[in-house]
Order: sequence, then structure tokens, then C-alpha cells
Amino acid sequence: MRRRQALSILTVVTLSGLTVSWPARAMDAEVTSETDGQFYDVRSPTGLVVDERRRLTTTLAVSLYNLLDAPLTDPNAPQLSFRARLRYDADYGTNADEVDPRYYATTFVPGLATPIVPGSYANEAVDLMYAYVEGRKFLHGWLGFKVGRQYVTDSLGWWSFDGGEAAVTTPYFFKAEVYGGLEERGGLPLSTSRFEADGIWRGNRSSFDPLPGCPGGPPGTCGQTGLSLYPAFQPADIAPAIGVALESTGITWIHGRLTYRRVYDTGSSNVTEFPNGLYAPAAYDGARISSEKIGYAVDASLPKVGGAKAGLVYDLYRAEFTSLYASIDAYVGNKVTVSADYDYYVPSFDGDSIWNFFAGEPTNDVALRANVDVNDQLSFSGSGNARIFTIPTSAFDPAGNGGVNCSSPPCYSPYTNYAGGGYFPSNGHPFDEGFNLSGRWKSGETRIAVRGAGNFGDEGDRVGGDISGERIIETRYVVSARAGVWQWDDKLRPDRSTTDFSYVLGAGYRFMPRGQGGVEWEQDVNGLVGDRFRVLATLKVAVGK
Amino acid sequence: MTRASLARLLLFAPLFAVLFVVPLAVAENAAPASQTVVHGLAPLPNDQKVPKAMLPPGSFEPDPGPSDVIYPTQHLTIRFNHAKHLGKDVGATCKTCHGAANRSTSVADSLLPKGEACDACHSTDHSDLTAVKAGDDASGQCAYCHEGYKAGDGNAVAELAVPRANMLFNHKAHVDRNIGCAQCHGAVDQLELATRDQLPRMPGCFTCHQMPDSASRGEAKSACETCHIRGDRGTTIKTMFASGTLLPPRWLHNSEHTPDFIERHKSVAADDSQYCANCHKEDFCTDCHDGRVRPRNIHPSDYLNMHAIEARMETQKCKSCHQEQSFCLDCHMRVGISESSPAADRQTARFHPPKATWSDPPVKPGFHSFEAERNLNQCVSCHTERDCIACHGALGVGAGFDPHTNGFVRGCATQFRRNPRPCYTCHEPSDGVLTQCMR
Repeated sequence: MRRRQALSILTVVTLSGLTVSWPARAMDAEVTSETDGQFYDVRSPTGLVVDERRRLTTTLAVSLYNLLDAPLTDPNAPQLSFRARLRYDADYGTNADEVDPRYYATTFVPGLATPIVPGSYANEAVDLMYAYVEGRKFLHGWLGFKVGRQYVTDSLGWWSFDGGEAAVTTPYFFKAEVYGGLEERGGLPLSTSRFEADGIWRGNRSSFDPLPGCPGGPPGTCGQTGLSLYPAFQPADIAPAIGVALESTGITWIHGRLTYRRVYDTGSSNVTEFPNGLYAPAAYDGARISSEKIGYAVDASLPKVGGAKAGLVYDLYRAEFTSLYASIDAYVGNKVTVSADYDYYVPSFDGDSIWNFFAGEPTNDVALRANVDVNDQLSFSGSGNARIFTIPTSAFDPAGNGGVNCSSPPCYSPYTNYAGGGYFPSNGHPFDEGFNLSGRWKSGETRIAVRGAGNFGDEGDRVGGDISGERIIETRYVVSARAGVWQWDDKLRPDRSTTDFSYVLGAGYRFMPRGQGGVEWEQDVNGLVGDRFRVLATLKVAVGK
Repeated sequence: MTRASLARLLLFAPLFAVLFVVPLAVAENAAPASQTVVHGLAPLPNDQKVPKAMLPPGSFEPDPGPSDVIYPTQHLTIRFNHAKHLGKDVGATCKTCHGAANRSTSVADSLLPKGEACDACHSTDHSDLTAVKAGDDASGQCAYCHEGYKAGDGNAVAELAVPRANMLFNHKAHVDRNIGCAQCHGAVDQLELATRDQLPRMPGCFTCHQMPDSASRGEAKSACETCHIRGDRGTTIKTMFASGTLLPPRWLHNSEHTPDFIERHKSVAADDSQYCANCHKEDFCTDCHDGRVRPRNIHPSDYLNMHAIEARMETQKCKSCHQEQSFCLDCHMRVGISESSPAADRQTARFHPPKATWSDPPVKPGFHSFEAERNLNQCVSCHTERDCIACHGALGVGAGFDPHTNGFVRGCATQFRRNPRPCYTCHEPSDGVLTQCMR
């Protein structure tokens, strides 16, 4: 009875809310949708079709701007807005058994899909890309905030979390920012794994335990539960995160941002990753560091001279710098810019991952760049770069006791067949080289771009170029084309080397100012797979008030 | 392309140069024909180059002029000599004709003087624009000021078009702060016709506009929306105008959108949390960074089949858009090339180089640990932890193959304290080795 009463009250309140007249506001409302259908095959190097892709991706976004009805001409007025975007992503080419855990021993691929309807086994997922309320310039310009699922962009990377962020802009040339919430993690409702650290294969294990039955599975697999089923596939759980940042404001010729972020792993993690549960403990539970990093980025520029940029990321968990970069741009006249870049990178992973402890060595990139703006329509860019690899060539000594290892337990025994007793006798070929050339011409509704690139290294080479163009005719007909030739040399597997020619033809129609549909046809021809075809159909619609 | 066709192309290139490029260059540099100097048709007689000292502050050398997007093309049909009017002979000031500027709070205000402002000296009568009366002397004739006017045109003169600027500007606020006209417009008093070239340059604005976007110091804020029109679709500023699309200049955060900007935009985005969002919404970033459709300008040709080569060389670039476990591993499992692929999918063909290279000594380039050290990310994109543990764990078949770095023990206590989970993946809790990391 009480339930019925509650339902009645809820209905009345909802209907009242829908019918009551709200004061008119000059807010801007916008609804957008983008839909892509893709049809193509994945083939093995022998040309055999190993996977069929029949993909459909569609997004629906709703935005409400200027909720406080501030005039657009007032730069100091507080602003309140709401934005949300939902995405449906499906591959109808997937076999049902690939996403049905009842076939886990034969064809099931964990993590491939997050069923929308419990019990359904389809390769489809819905995620909320973002949904937040944002306020700016509140408290006379001092306070900004964002609540909901949102992105953070800085030297620590492009990241997403659910929670709140508050920023205080001071008159003292800096703003302070603090945020906290839960990192967006795959396997959790309406989420993708795009923003979590690499290294841990993680997702929704809810359908694994208990198994509903094993049709088609090998004998003896039915009834296996929990950790014994794909134990390397880790259960997803919430990941609390906090962050702070200090950023300069006001001064335009120099800008910097100092940022700190800590993310925790929580919940159970399978430690014994073999189905037989060989060792104990089988799982580790408890809050622990997923990542903890501090980053800084700065840039400075003088309009008639040039500019400089630099940044770093220090991984507090690994206790080392994982990224350092710097670039200098010199403005040689109004049309030419020459630049030099340096980039240092060390792979880092989720705190749960064993790979943080593997000997992943840094790479150092140096590059020289130049850009020429011939005129407003025509620009060219070119660069040449070298990547320097590092391999430890000193004696293997993880304990750091001067190379005296295995004299008394506990000890480590490095690979005994290394020549001369050193870890690696040689750094091998330490450089990869590359270049990049690109040009762009645009005039009115026509755009043509060319690109050539080459990368040369011990593992392989690739070199080639593309030319592409797009033209909008009479503001509504869109035609596009692309053609390219690329040579790929796989030095580790020479039989996979080939020359590829591809072309793309596209046509579209703008049926309204912000609505366009189109189709693209792509053909790739190469010695490995023969002909590959791909069809891409797109539909974009935006309506606003 | 055959050698013959290449040679043909090389042959035609000089011909092309002779036929097209050379005449164009000659035409551009041709000396102007001698003509009678007519004043007031350009900033300087005969359209001479305006010295930098006379241009608005912030102008470059050579000066490409102000933004075509912010200040749309004008159609000036009036001949006017500012230098003469502001000189001793006439003795006018800026305010004489442009007095409205002192009260203007919007770029929508017309700051050009009406025809009546000329009447007193030129003996004309513009009080009724449908029947303008010419003056008695030469300076009072319509053709004296109105370009293209011919006898017999009557009251019709060529239309003057000075479109409003695509920005926000409050002349009054600047005048009230004793900011003189020349501080933004340059030495108009030494020039003849004032054109778009005498409109302010953005670097000149930044001479003063260096203040934080906070109300406690309201003057001369540097926030984009201080001068640029606010975007009505979620961006801080509006970028699309009939006159073109607003793009960042080279000197602003070094963020000119050059053809190779896609290769280097990381450092711009990393530094300023708001800068990109001034013009772009999240959707612009997600198209690539969380996209579902292959961007062909990044992944050309049959990238699906060829990506392994680039992935081996620079997997860190892959990471900027793809999560290795969910994007790479899932697909590698489906097509059967991953160690963890389902049994029915697993390919019998070897993915890695032959065993003699990949896992047999001596260690050399191509050996799996050598490749892992050079680029560990490439391993992670195909393998799960257990693939490595099978050999590199502290117990069992591969107990002897220690994967740690040199000097690992010296720093492992920090990691163990913060997250011991990865340690237990290879080591039993009772493993004595762990005590070295329990300090």
C-alpha cells in the first residue's frame, strides 16, 4: 500500500514538474548526434578473413548553455552550463560465443563487451562519455566548478573521472584547482577503460561467477567459479582519485601548470593468475596505489622572437621521471618557424601491474622541425627525428651490491649464456630514424593535404605518402578523395613486408546547416591480403535553440 | 612510377616554371607606372609601405596586417588625408570627427563621422542625404572625396562598407583610462587614408592585457572572452564568422595550427588546462583520443594489417589514444595472435621471429628481452601478466629469469609499501627475497 502511495506521489510530482510553467530563459540548448557505420574485414597475413567487423557507433549529446541568462557581450558574467554525451558502440560482426562466458574455454574473449541487458551476449556497450554541470566566474570571477563525469587535460595525460572539481582564480597570477572522485574504469556501468593506466587486464567479471552452464564447452569446465575462470582478467572496482593543480593566469607570454594526482586501486585482485591456483594467496585485497604522479608543463613565447615549451612527469610510485620534454621554436621572419624538440619517455603502468618492475628502458627522441607559411592558403611542415634506445650493458645486479650476485641466497641468476658475463654485451643498433613532410592548401571550401613520412629502425621500416582533398560544392554537396602508397618492411618477419596502395572516395550531403550524411568507400591493395574493402557511413545532426 | 615518367616529370617542371611562375613573379615586381600623386587614397601616397613606427603597436615587420577574420574586408570609397586634417593647417583632432568613440561601448557603434562634419570647411551640405549639395570650390565637389564619382551621378555615391569587427571592444573604457588613440591605432596623424592596417593588433593589446581573470583586479584581463565574442555552443569564444575561421597565431602558446600540429599539440594541451577549450569542445578531442573511427591522417592505408611495424617503434604514441588491454589485447585475442587467445582462435602460425632469434641465446637485437627493454609497451599490448610470469615468476619453470632492473632492490621498499600486489604475483609471501623490499 505504501509503495502504491509513494508511486502516486512520484507520478503527481513528475507530471507537475512537466506541466508547470517555468520562467523563460535565454539559455542555448543543443542536441547533437553522430552515427558511424563501418563495414570491413580483418585478415591474416595469408589473406584469410579472421574477423568480420560490422560496427555501429552512435552518440547522443545534450548541452544547455547560459543557464543564468547572462548576456553574451558581458565577459565577466557568471556562467552555468550542462553537457552530457552518451555513446552506443556495437560490433554486429562478433560471434555471440566470443562474448558468452559459457564458451570461455574455446572462443570467449573476456572484456570484449559489457552487456547492456544482463544475460544478453552481444558485443555492445553504452558509455557516458561526459556529463557535468560547469560553473565559471562565480563569486565575482573567483570560483569555477565542475560536477559530474569530466575530463582533465594536463601533463599527466588526458583523463576522466566522476566527481567534482573546484578552481579558485586569484588576482595574484595563479589559480588553484582541486578535484576528487572516482576514475572512469572499464567494467563499471556506463564506463570505458580508455582512461585507466595500462598493464592490468581488467573488466566486468560479474557474469563469470557462477557459470550459468557450459554448452559447447569442454568437459570438466562447467561449474568453475570466480578466480579459476580467466584469473588473469582482473575484476573492476571503484578507483578513488584526488588531484590538485596550480596554474598561472593572466600573463600571456608565459604559462605554467603544476599538477599532482593520486589514484587508488581497491577491491580484490587475482594474484594467482593460473587456473590451477598454484600459489597462495589467490587474491590481494585492499586499497593500494594505482598511480601517483606529479607533472609540470610550461611555455613561453615572444611574438617576434620565438618560444619554448617544456614539461616533466615524475612517477612517485616508481620514484623516477617517466617523461621529460622540451622544444624551442624560432620565428625566422613572418613565414618560417624552425624548431628543435627533445622527448624522454619511460613506460609506466598501473600500480597493480608487474610491468612496472620489468626492465623497460627509456627512449630519447630528438627532432628538428620547420614550418613555412607560404601564404594564407599554403603551408608546409617538415621534420627529421632520431629515437635513441637504451639497453643496460652493465653486469646484471638487481640487488645493487656491485655485481656480486648469487654468492649467497637469496640470489638471482641472470641468463647464464650472456657473452662475457655482462647483461647485454651490446646496445645493438641504438637509433631509429624518421622524417615527416606535410603540406596543406586551403581556399574557400576546398582543402588539399599531402603527407609523406618514413620511419626506419631495426624492427622495421615504413615509408610512404598520402594525398587527400575535400571540396564543398554549393554549400551542401561534399566530395572527398584520398590516395596513398606505403612500403612496409617487417625486419623481424620479412615475409610480412609489402607495398600497399589505397584510395578512398567519399560523398556527402548537408541537408541542414549542421546536419550531414555521407558515405566513404576505401580499397586497400597489397601483397599480403590482396584487396581489402571498407565502407564507412556517417550521419551528423545538430539542432539548437 | 617508372623512371621514364619520372624523367618526363622532371623535364616538365622547368617548363612549368618558365610558363607560369616567372611571369607571375615579374608581374608582381613590375615597377609602377609613373603617375600623378593623388593624396588620401592610401595610408601613404602611391600606396607606399607604411613604416613600422607608424603602424599600431604590436605590428610585425614585415606587417601582414590585422586579422581578416576579426576585421572583415572593408570597402573604402572615401578619399581622406588624416595627416592634413590633423596638421597645423586644419588643426583638427581625432575627437573632432570621431567624438563618438569617447562614448562608444560596443563595436556595433558607428564611429565614422557623418557627412555634415565636412560641411563647415568644404562648403558642402550633407544635412539631407537624399539631396546633398556640392560646394563652390574644388574641395567641395563630390568627386573630391567620393571615389569614382562622375559628373551626372547626381546624389549617388559609391557605398562605403566598414563591417563591424568580430570582437568586443569598449572605446569609452579605454578613453577613460587616458589611453590615447595612437596607443592602439598607431600614428594615424602622419598617414593619409586610415585603412584596416590602422586597426589594433593582438600583441599590442597584450601590452596591457596581462591581468588574471578575476574580479578583484578588473582592468585589462587577458582572458580570451575579454575581447573575443563568447561562443554560444559551449566554447569560450566564437570562432566561426562569415569572414572566416579564427585560428591561433603562431606566437600565442606557439600553437599555430600548422600542417604538423597534430604531431606536436600535446605540449600545448598539457600546459594550459583551458587553452584548447577556448575554441574546441571535448567532442573535438574525443574524435581521436577516444574515437571509434580510424582517423586516416594518422593511420594511413591498410593500417590494420601494417600497424605492427609502427607499434614496435613507438608504442607510446599508441597509448595517447588507446588503452593497451582493452583496445589492443581484445582484438589480438579475437584474431588469435595473443598468448591468451581462446583455444579455438589461437593461430598455429608463429607471430614472433623464429625461436633461434627470439628466445635462444646469444642475446642480440631481436631477442625477446632485448625488444622488451627497448619498448615494453609493445609486449603489454598483446600479453597478459601471466604470459610473463610463466617464465619470470620466482617459482616454477622460469624461476631463474629475473626481469628486474639493475639496482631494483634499492628502491623496491617504496613500491612494496604502496602496493604489494605485483610482488605477490611472482613471489610467495614467505619468499625470503621479499624481505629486501620490506624495509
